[in-house]
Amino acid sequence: MMNEYILRTNKLSKKYKNHFALKDIDITIRKGEIYGFIGLNGAGKSTMLRLVTGLTFPTSGSIELFGNDNPKYLRSAQKRIGAIIENPALFSNMTATENLEVQRLQKGVPGKECIYQTLELVDLKETGKKKVKDFSLGMKQRLGLGMALLSDPEFLILDEPTNGLDPMGIVELRRLIKKLNREKGLTVLISSHILSELHQLATSFCIIHDGKRLEELSSEELDEKCRQHLRIKVDRPALGATVLENTLATNDFEVMPDGSIKLYAYLEDVVTVSRALTNNGLVIQHLSQNGDSLEGYFSMLIGGGEHD
Amino acid sequence: MTNLIRVEIFKLVQSKTLWLLIIIITGLSTLLHSLVITDWWQLSGTEFDRAQLSELNALSAFTLPLLFSFIVSALAGFHVSTEFSQSGVIKNQIISGHHIAYIYMAKYLVFSLGSIIVTILIPLLTAIILVLLFGHGDLINLSNFTYLGRAFSLFTLQFLCFTAVVLWIAIGTGDSGQTIIFTLLLSIIMFIIEKFLTYPVIQLLYENSFFYQFSEVFHYSMTTGEILKSIVIAIISLIVILSGGMFVFNRKEIK
Repeated sequence: MMNEYILRTNKLSKKYKNHFALKDIDITIRKGEIYGFIGLNGAGKSTMLRLVTGLTFPTSGSIELFGNDNPKYLRSAQKRIGAIIENPALFSNMTATENLEVQRLQKGVPGKECIYQTLELVDLKETGKKKVKDFSLGMKQRLGLGMALLSDPEFLILDEPTNGLDPMGIVELRRLIKKLNREKGLTVLISSHILSELHQLATSFCIIHDGKRLEELSSEELDEKCRQHLRIKVDRPALGATVLENTLATNDFEVMPDGSIKLYAYLEDVVTVSRALTNNGLVIQHLSQNGDSLEGYFSMLIGGGEHD
Repeated sequence: MTNLIRVEIFKLVQSKTLWLLIIIITGLSTLLHSLVITDWWQLSGTEFDRAQLSELNALSAFTLPLLFSFIVSALAGFHVSTEFSQSGVIKNQIISGHHIAYIYMAKYLVFSLGSIIVTILIPLLTAIILVLLFGHGDLINLSNFTYLGRAFSLFTLQFLCFTAVVLWIAIGTGDSGQTIIFTLLLSIIMFIIEKFLTYPVIQLLYENSFFYQFSEVFHYSMTTGEILKSIVIAIISLIVILSGGMFVFNRKEIK
């Protein structure tokens, strides 16, 4: 992985009236990464993407794009970005070709070959004179992706790109993003509520909740965190941790924000763990063996309660 | 900037609203001019009458702010405002990385061009063609041509201020319905000020506005001073309105 930064934010905040949609967000995206942006609806994902693309303005903090945080440079740096924010923005009374022509002129791409190449890339070359208003949601999503890719951007920003796509469409999108990332070194920032989908695609993750960054981690770190473990909930988590350290002589555990403990040792010896805890006066509220999916880890991190 | 203008022209040519307005105004203009030239509609007391061009009297209808505000606001509402609301395509333009001022100016220039074609050129050309077809070709002489050239050039200059205001409304509201309503309201307010408000300060302000110039520029005889005043009013208004519009657009958060 190269260490050239494509996007860095420094204490980026956005306030609407009395409510912070984002608060002091720091993220770092390196060249060549596929960066998964994870959060519940209303967590601030779209706000973040809108700030980066210049659709809205930060209340405080700074954005550095392609190594430059000068606000005057930001606008021209955005020329190197392709993006779909929320829904693909399309002219419904135009055909796919006409929509791509608008985008081509807007981006100043010479020659019309790129239009036909893009139509082929997103599998819309057969749409002919069909107007966008008659497209399915999946076709619109693919056209939006085509528009974002038309100018051969260095950085692709996709906000919930799998919305409206059928399972085959989702697989195709994943394949396409991986291909562009591998062959052209395209850096991708992608937000999705389908976390398992993101888990298969992204090389780094940022988890945000209520406008705050909870964690930024690589896929290796995430895999490590999602490894097989015992999930323990006791009435006094701090004492539980002490018992694990002193009685069971292990440090291979984590205390999660919701107070539960992830124990990566003693996976085959649940009885010993249970006995050690109860012998020290703890009430076990939950004890199970888990292997977290991204959803499970995410749920645990935001304090979303039970999961398997 | 050239790319942005090409995009705006491409979108304008694809706009159903523009073609619908062209058809309506061509039909309406043909009808009104035919009625006037054949004396079915006897219109009198217009500036064209005073310029001995009574065959062109129907043109006075198209120079009334209350009428052309319908045309301009419809074009602004369905061509510009919808980009902010219905389709949201303005997002693509902002993300494309162009300077906001250039995006605004490209929109202004092309929107004004469309408005001028529909509101000024079509009625004028229809009038000239019908005058020739009905056998009044003698009206097209150097003196009348000079008068029409001067009057419509100055009118276009004032009209550019009006389109700048309407674009400001269209971008500020981002909604086609509100654009039409606020533009019509503006024209009604100006009409009320012209006809009914006699406070000296308001009258002074009004008489130095581009709205007042819409009728003044059609006077058959205008002194050089009056022509210069008209030009200065238009240029100053244009600079102020465009700067204000850019300021609003620059600070507008795109939803």
